[in-house]
Amino acid sequence: MAGPPSRLELPQGTLDLLILKAIALEPQHGWAISERIQQISNDALQVQQGSLYPALHRLERRGWIKAKWGTSDNNRKAKFYELTRAGRRALDAQTGAWRALTAAVDLLLDTP
Amino acid sequence: MVADLYHRLRALLRRGAVDAELDEELRFHLDLDIEKRMRAGLTRGAAARAARLALGGIEQVKDAHRDVRGIAFVESILRDIRYGARAMRRAPAFAATVVATLALSTAALATVLTLGYTLLYRMLPVERPAELVEVAGVRRAFASEQLSTSEAARLQVLGPVSYPDYLAFRTGSRTLSGLAAHYPTAPLFVSVGGLGREVNGAVVSANFFPLLGIRPALGRFFHDDEDRVPDRDRVAVIGSNFWRTWFAASPAAIGARLRINGTDFTIVGVAPATFSGMTSSPIELYIPTMMLRVGYRWCDDALAADCTVLQMIGRLAPGRILSDAAAELPTLAPAAWAHAPRGENSGVAVAVPRGMSTDDEEPRLVRILGAVAIVLLLVCCANLAGLVGAQSAARAHEFAVRVSLGAAPGRLARQLLTESAMLSIAGGAAGVLLSRAFTGALAMMFFAADDEGHPLQYDFSQTPAIALATLGAALVAGVLFSVASATRVVRPPAASRLSRRATARWSSGAWLLGAQAAAAVAMVALAALLGASARTMLRGRNYDASHVALIRVRPRLVKYSADRAQRFQREVVRRLESLPGVDSVSMVGIESVLGGSSIGVALPRWDAAQRVTASYNEVGPRYFATLDTAVTAGREFDEHDAAQSPPVAIVNETLASRLWPGGGALGATIVVGRIERQIVGIVKDLSLRSRTHDRESWVYTPFWQNPAQVDSRVAIRAAGDPSALLPAIAREVNRVDPDVPIAETITLPSRIAALMRPVRVSATFVGYTAVLAVILTAVGYMARWRSRWRGARRRSASGWRSAPSADACSASSCARG
Repeated sequence: MAGPPSRLELPQGTLDLLILKAIALEPQHGWAISERIQQISNDALQVQQGSLYPALHRLERRGWIKAKWGTSDNNRKAKFYELTRAGRRALDAQTGAWRALTAAVDLLLDTP
Repeated sequence: MVADLYHRLRALLRRGAVDAELDEELRFHLDLDIEKRMRAGLTRGAAARAARLALGGIEQVKDAHRDVRGIAFVESILRDIRYGARAMRRAPAFAATVVATLALSTAALATVLTLGYTLLYRMLPVERPAELVEVAGVRRAFASEQLSTSEAARLQVLGPVSYPDYLAFRTGSRTLSGLAAHYPTAPLFVSVGGLGREVNGAVVSANFFPLLGIRPALGRFFHDDEDRVPDRDRVAVIGSNFWRTWFAASPAAIGARLRINGTDFTIVGVAPATFSGMTSSPIELYIPTMMLRVGYRWCDDALAADCTVLQMIGRLAPGRILSDAAAELPTLAPAAWAHAPRGENSGVAVAVPRGMSTDDEEPRLVRILGAVAIVLLLVCCANLAGLVGAQSAARAHEFAVRVSLGAAPGRLARQLLTESAMLSIAGGAAGVLLSRAFTGALAMMFFAADDEGHPLQYDFSQTPAIALATLGAALVAGVLFSVASATRVVRPPAASRLSRRATARWSSGAWLLGAQAAAAVAMVALAALLGASARTMLRGRNYDASHVALIRVRPRLVKYSADRAQRFQREVVRRLESLPGVDSVSMVGIESVLGGSSIGVALPRWDAAQRVTASYNEVGPRYFATLDTAVTAGREFDEHDAAQSPPVAIVNETLASRLWPGGGALGATIVVGRIERQIVGIVKDLSLRSRTHDRESWVYTPFWQNPAQVDSRVAIRAAGDPSALLPAIAREVNRVDPDVPIAETITLPSRIAALMRPVRVSATFVGYTAVLAVILTAVGYMARWRSRWRGARRRSASGWRSAPSADACSASSCARG
């Protein structure tokens, strides 16, 4: 019987990639980003909410995302983050790097 | 990169707004999380707790957020600065002393840097000055009394070229995009509408202004066509100053007529105020090279190949560098240069024009002043070490408290360094501002007029690099000497109480004070020496300059024949002698009063190899009486020493003892140049040089025994103040012939003062530094005595308190000791 997957700690450095992916389609506010990561990963990934906001600021400083104040669904003022062009390039590059890494690790682990 | 900078700056400058935004964002996050958890069935209280737990603590998130803003270091520095500012407010006398000390010493440094930069390095205020090259002839120097044969062989003198030489370089050069000729020191006697006076003019080629990239303020510059035919195009460009003073800056100046050295010219343009020529003597008037015969009267034909008077300035062609021009231009030199005798152009020198210095002494002056400024800065450093040491000892209690509250010793050291840096920057900035006043005063006192009374113009504006270097020097001086006290703070406080360590510190402070005092004494001695030297030179040795007025009369500029000029000169002397308040009048034919040229002298039976070089002038009757110089034997020249009478000479004591060591000079025959003369008088040595220079041999011949005499410089001995007599003198000479240009109407002390500029500048500067060094040393000793006295008082007080038991010493009183 398959139970709910147990929560996984994020490997170092992957939070940035997840954030970039979470806002790749449309701008999101902080809480929505953490929710989206959990939803898509089927609750397998637990984002340390406390580390989300410093990470968002770090990405802003890097120029990969930019923030804008807007209005949320429940009509409240919220800060929305969206990808910049540099951010989109970084997402592609990091996705490729991640895939290559996991493929290599898979290959190694699958070897009898 | 840009985003990073933006966010860092925003975090730094709008910290409140960034914090408020984060608060808002976190509140929004928590609210949504609470709602979600309430929807899952939790009560509001439980949901809120769970949400806060999930977030990981609001304050921790804020701290983590601040950590990634990239300004933690800056913020801690800002905290140090705020703390430092409070510490300074608590000890304003200390802060003010440090800032004033640094300001006064760095101002001296900045002044020397500005002086050196202007004299030796500043480029011309023209377009792309780094592309310009000065091209000059190179001459092998003559050996003279001041220059041995071997020195003369090594020394090469730069020389001007003739107009045909200039044309050869201009047409032949491929490495230069242009080559202009100019004669920058043309004395032009100008009259406009009845007003007349001599102005400093320049004769320039038509391409001079375009080559320098200068645009006229009004009208135009010379057309190429106006510089093709000798003496045809009588056009002039006036300088901005001339335009203001003679035409009240009116546009009507264009097209106006000017009489220059007796020839009528039409003004075609006005040069901009930003450009006043290539040298420190501002040019008031420019005429084209084809009018050189008007501007230069010493050659029969100023445009001929044997009249070397023009200087050259070129601009490197695109892509060319200095070495290209230096390699090419010598190949273009006229063939005759290869066989040129000593003293005539034989080679070519190419250099980038830099600096306004015209005096060989000036580079040495700058080096000496630089050394003095550095010594002053070191004295300042020693003083600061003492001050900062005393101050940090006074703050030992404060530091002990901070250490006990958990501050790391390194943190305290950084705090001290920050405070020193703050004081240093304040001192350095004040120094930079103060040095502007200093350079202004220097310019006004020493660089406003030359030795002939002509105005000078030096750009002593401060450059950003000099301001930065000054701030840097202040920072190094201030921070270096807080390092010692910072390291003491870093050590455990108990250790610093050990008496041995205290003694060591004390003795190091004493050593610094000793060094400071020694430097101050040395500076005072140097200042006294320089001051005495300057005073001696100003007062004169073996002559009395204080009552002498000078005037230069130049009939040559208006083409007087020698005969007519001499009649004019005699009438001038006669009229001046009859002026009330005039004791005596005389004149010299060569160079200046107290100056002269050099000439070979010999005894009648000597061959050419035995000839010696002596300084020489042709002087009028009563020359030595006018200068109040003693005639030790024989007589001085009088009206009877004329062209038809037997040739006579006067020698100074040095030449007399050199040629006649056993005596007997008076009445002996001496060969001066090629003429045998009888010595009729011996006079005291009379020289403008300082006492450190070697004694010079001098020979004088009568002014009226030279039949070619035209121009002269006249010396007038006044009974009272000579400066009061100057207008009357000029008026009287004008009465003889108003067309004869007169110049250099100046008193002899003023002229000597201008000639003695390097000595006077160094005497003034060293005097300033000596006074400052003495004050700084006094401050250092006062601080030391004060801290010793306080220490003694504390020791006796704590001794009384701790008498019952050594354990009674409280933490704070121990720390204070």
